[in-house]
Amino acid sequence: MQEYVLRTNQLSKHFKGHTALDKVNLSIAKGSIYGFIGQNGAGKSTLIRMVAGLAYPSGGTVELFGASGEQALTEARKRVGSMIESPALFPHMTAAENLEANRILRGIPGKDCVNRMLKQVGLEGAQRKKARNFSLGMKQRLGLGIALLGDPEFLMLDEPINGLDPVGVVEIRELLRRLNRELGITILISSHILSELHLVASHYGIIHRGRLLEQLTAEELNSKCQQYLLIKADHPDRAAAVIQKELDTADFEVMQDGAIKLFSRMEDPGRVSTALFSAGLVIEKFMPMGEDLESYYTKRIGGHPHV
Amino acid sequence: MYNLIKGELFKLRKNGAFWTLLCTLTILSLAYPLLYYFDSRASGTPQMTGAEFFVNFIASNSHVLKFSVAMLAGFFICTEYSSGVMKTIASSGNARWRLFTAKLIVFAAGAMAASLVFPVVGMTETTLLAGFGQLPEGGAALLIPRALGLTLLYSAAFAAMGALFAVIFTDSDKTIIFLLAFFMLTDTLWVAVGRKIPFFAELHDYSIFKLSIEIGKPGIDSGEWPAFLLVPLGTIALSAILGILAFRRKEIK
Repeated sequence: MQEYVLRTNQLSKHFKGHTALDKVNLSIAKGSIYGFIGQNGAGKSTLIRMVAGLAYPSGGTVELFGASGEQALTEARKRVGSMIESPALFPHMTAAENLEANRILRGIPGKDCVNRMLKQVGLEGAQRKKARNFSLGMKQRLGLGIALLGDPEFLMLDEPINGLDPVGVVEIRELLRRLNRELGITILISSHILSELHLVASHYGIIHRGRLLEQLTAEELNSKCQQYLLIKADHPDRAAAVIQKELDTADFEVMQDGAIKLFSRMEDPGRVSTALFSAGLVIEKFMPMGEDLESYYTKRIGGHPHV
Repeated sequence: MYNLIKGELFKLRKNGAFWTLLCTLTILSLAYPLLYYFDSRASGTPQMTGAEFFVNFIASNSHVLKFSVAMLAGFFICTEYSSGVMKTIASSGNARWRLFTAKLIVFAAGAMAASLVFPVVGMTETTLLAGFGQLPEGGAALLIPRALGLTLLYSAAFAAMGALFAVIFTDSDKTIIFLLAFFMLTDTLWVAVGRKIPFFAELHDYSIFKLSIEIGKPGIDSGEWPAFLLVPLGTIALSAILGILAFRRKEIK
């Protein structure tokens, strides 16, 4: 039987005249990396804040490690590490002091975990630098280090790679993968960078205007993402006419740069290329492609992504 | 609970505003008797002794105490909301009442430390400059420990009020401005209203605002003791309960 770390049941949040979350039934399986996707104001942070106990639901329930009800949830939150909206740091303290303050507050024994954590998030060289002098990327790393203190079983990360340089993005990605693979930590990540999310997530949840539109696994997403042939010819208009006439299909799209996305005839690419060559067209690009997460998300919410 | 208090103490120890406050109070406490000393020497008037300094200025210490509480409430409690640290603390799996109680205990300890600077440093310096002198008759032997003990108790009472308003406002500037105005103007307002409605005058007599000014009077009758002790204790209890209720309901952004 599938074991869930987090489940919400009809979870709703209403502000004055505004519904931030509308009866959301979300479930995160143990051991998964859950990519939480949505536009700004879609309700991602509101949901995460309610799970973390920072905001209260207007309706519905939260179940964390099978526990629900105020007291049980508070206790269950000891098993959760979180970084919500922005890294929460004491600006006047150094990286080591920030970790130490959080270690003491959470009653985590052993000072050695501070140095271990600094090393884990790549801040061992900056342990004496005050957090207010950190770059955004360093703040993100330290915020992640604080969330990881006490070896949580469930990590909730809101935009964890914001502000990181490309090397930092790869390092954090690898760290999250390792935590998930080696320690079995379940991770919820909300991110604007869908391409990056696509590289780590095993499950996805798409939220739009407070409603959870869909939850799916990476496999389901891959199978749902539309496949197409990407064709770039020297004369896009003529190529489009040939496809329509010779291949008898209008299931294609001419992009602004002149490339053509052909959504049908995938089973017979030879016939497509022959038709184009026969018409005397020079083919610059011809390859099978799949829709990415961003395109799928855009299609799913019925518009531009703006995430 | 122990680890929460320990954590709050660690944060207070690292809080720059707290040390700035203590240093500023220490410098002012050293400067004031020194200026008085040189002034008296120049004019040839008798020097103020340590005992006289203590008796004359312990009442004024309530202003220092209120100022310290307002500053600390803004810079020790509210900054945790603006920096987002409160999110991490509140989501750490500790009940909100425990978090508030630990914060209040350490905040009160910080306010207590600040409240002792002016009387202790000032009296010590004056004693070194002009001797200790004589305490007024009537419970003289106990005057200093009693006044300092009550200073600590009243500091905790003002701190409890400060913590309550810090939780309500969550913004440093708003909290500091409100608390300064509230602490400074409440007395005046209360007295003004009390002139027209005697009940308020009576209420003012049994408030920490009035009693905190009287903690240095030479003799406290046995009949006055319950009020001197119960009023601040009641204020602490009431403010703490209201603070816990406010913090429990608070959504942390």
